Amino acid sequence: MNNRLRLRQAVTIARLELRRAFFSKRAFWVYGLALFPAVIFFGHGLEVKIRRDRLSARGLSSPALIDSAQKGETVEAVMQRLGKAANDYQWESRRRVRAVKSESGTTIHAIEPAAEARFVRLNITRPTYSGDPTARIYEFEVYGPDSPTNLALHRPATGSVPCSDDQGPDKAFNGSVSGGSSDRWCTHEWDRFLQVDLGTPVMVRRFIVKHASAGGESEESDTRDFNIQVSKDGKIFATVVTVTGAGYVDERTARRTLTYFDGRREARLQFTDGKMVSRDNRELLNFEEDRQVFAGVFQFFYLRLAIFFGCLGIFMNLFRGEMLDRTLHYWFLAPARRDVLLAGKYGAGLVASGVIFAGAALLCFAMMLWPQDPAAVQLYLQNGGVAHAFWYAVAALLGCVGYGSVFLAAGLLLRNPIIPAAVLLAWESINGFLPEILQKMSVLYYLQSLCPVPPPSDKSAPALLQLLLSPAAPASHLGAILGLLVVTALVLWIARIAIRRMQVSYGSDV
Amino acid sequence: MTAPAVVFDEVSKFYGEVLGVNRVTLNIPPGITSLVGPNGSGKTTLMNLMTGLIHPDHGSIRMRGISPRDPENLMRITGYATQYDAAPRWATGFSFITTGLLLFGCGRAEAEEKAWKALERLGLTDAAHRKVAAYSKGMRQRVRLAQAIAHEPELLVLDEPLNGLDPLVRAETIALFRSWAAQGRHVILSSHVLQEVDVISDQVVLIANGMIVAEGEIRNVRDEIHEHPSQFIVRCSDASNLAASLFSEDHITEIKVNDDRLSLLVMTRDRERFARALGRFAGDGHRIDSVIPADENVDALYEYLIGGDK
Repeated sequence: MNNRLRLRQAVTIARLELRRAFFSKRAFWVYGLALFPAVIFFGHGLEVKIRRDRLSARGLSSPALIDSAQKGETVEAVMQRLGKAANDYQWESRRRVRAVKSESGTTIHAIEPAAEARFVRLNITRPTYSGDPTARIYEFEVYGPDSPTNLALHRPATGSVPCSDDQGPDKAFNGSVSGGSSDRWCTHEWDRFLQVDLGTPVMVRRFIVKHASAGGESEESDTRDFNIQVSKDGKIFATVVTVTGAGYVDERTARRTLTYFDGRREARLQFTDGKMVSRDNRELLNFEEDRQVFAGVFQFFYLRLAIFFGCLGIFMNLFRGEMLDRTLHYWFLAPARRDVLLAGKYGAGLVASGVIFAGAALLCFAMMLWPQDPAAVQLYLQNGGVAHAFWYAVAALLGCVGYGSVFLAAGLLLRNPIIPAAVLLAWESINGFLPEILQKMSVLYYLQSLCPVPPPSDKSAPALLQLLLSPAAPASHLGAILGLLVVTALVLWIARIAIRRMQVSYGSDV
Repeated sequence: MTAPAVVFDEVSKFYGEVLGVNRVTLNIPPGITSLVGPNGSGKTTLMNLMTGLIHPDHGSIRMRGISPRDPENLMRITGYATQYDAAPRWATGFSFITTGLLLFGCGRAEAEEKAWKALERLGLTDAAHRKVAAYSKGMRQRVRLAQAIAHEPELLVLDEPLNGLDPLVRAETIALFRSWAAQGRHVILSSHVLQEVDVISDQVVLIANGMIVAEGEIRNVRDEIHEHPSQFIVRCSDASNLAASLFSEDHITEIKVNDDRLSLLVMTRDRERFARALGRFAGDGHRIDSVIPADENVDALYEYLIGGDK
């Protein structure tokens, strides 16, 4: 049997297996994984183009004029100088604030004319702003028409069942608010009331209620709705004060954003109550930044994730899929060496994964270039851009070569793909920490060495993460390719031994 | 010059701790050879060993002088129709066979011609361009047979090949096997249908529990079976006394008395004389509760093959 026939056999096997590699239902998700970044870049480009067209349609502004807008200027002054904005957006923000600022959590209620009362009663209908059903009163003071003396101080008091024994009604009449939760009257029992006996009927004109925040608690726990009643005999009560929403009001702020566009930059001028508070200039498209983003997407998404798991799906399925379909024996009964079968299947997987991932990476690269200024793109392509695209494609292809061989061997040696995938992923992830010699035993080391643009580095990232993201001493392009091919050859040699020993057993065929 | 043979030398195969076949030694000459045995006896294991789908744990195999570990040469002269019912999802009957032939180095035209010829032989031309997955069970059986014979192999291994074939195709297929065997080729098949074995086989290999029970031409096998000891379990009231009486019979080869002294395992070369002897001992006062064959499957096989000669 000559080698030419073996080669023909391998090509025939590869051609037949392309169908499984490209269209296996078990690995169809690979396409989604490969095309995901291209779709994102396309969406980004489309959004930029639409936005640019929309902003340009409303007229361009001079860059110098846009830069002349200063903080503190009025809307009218800015619009007079810069003209009508490309986009004008106005809205109003509202915030609830306390109307009474004199003493936090304290409300004062005067009645006119003064009323005669022996019993004064505080009924709480909505105990808090937060919705908490617990009422908290730190002090309830009662004053006569002419006297500065608190008539209720240390007088006998009653009220709803307190939260605990040390938070009884007497705590609201002890003249103190600073003793924390044991210095308040607290109840969550219906009906929430607090009553004091002044001893004899006297004229009363003014009431002071000290709520939760007067005792140091959150303003949200202050009493929201309540009323005050007076009685001469403790039987018939007359309501003299009714409070709703205890002293809170809405604060309204007028906000406005004017957007100006100079053909390249978009400036957003923010105004609050008619005065400019900030200017946010940003380039609608930043070519340099987008190239960095692509470099990051390629290294962190394609190399570490998409190609890794894509090859897992495609190459593991080449043998394992046939075992599951119970069709592997047809290959083993063909007049071909098992090595030839291995080569044919590996070739099919390589073509499929190479087309899918190198193609998807190039498509993503094209999507990154698409919305950019054509002149800038032309310049970039003439000054290394084509080489960048080439090396990205080579790195993707070699990723398939390396990871493909590993998962092909794993498919021959193991039944469960989760275990080899997890082990390899862990190995590739800790790669940055390993000694240089061990780093060279990983596929990722060589692939990163081939990437033409280093990924963007975030200096604020934790040291651990930075170590993971930057391999030490990248190899030369030739060294990386040769190194990867050596690793691949080693793995395929193991796969060759495995397939020679492989036996077909779908079940219990005795 | 010696005719090329299929040779098994002390071959054993275990699936983990489960026995496949044990210490099988065979020498199968050209012609039609049937592997006969009950379910789970090791027939498929033997065929998978012959074709290299599985490898022996011990011993060696030569298929017309070629090792099953050399598929490049072995499968060029071998066709194997397995019992595995699956076919690739994409395959039509025609493309399934053509694809296989391309790996033999055939050109496209030659492969298509041979594929068509094989489909014609099995009566599948009408369904040639339909997906194999849509075939009936019998048609899938036929297409596997067509694939096995498409390259005109010298050594044809067929696992239950006549299952699911209609009478006409079955007769034609048997005729095909006969004409191939007449040309000095090997046709090795397994079957449960003993009447077929009797009719079509030149040689029979009887296998039970992974071991070869008898091997050779069908007439010789019957003689061999006559001499092959049968095992019976006899339950009685006094096993020791009955054993002593049985030992005086010359056809008894071995007796094992159980610890409870209420049963014994007897091996005899002549079951008829054994039956007569038991009747005689019962008349002499021995109480015999039951007589049970120790291996009913093999026993049924023997019964058929022996009975068929009468």
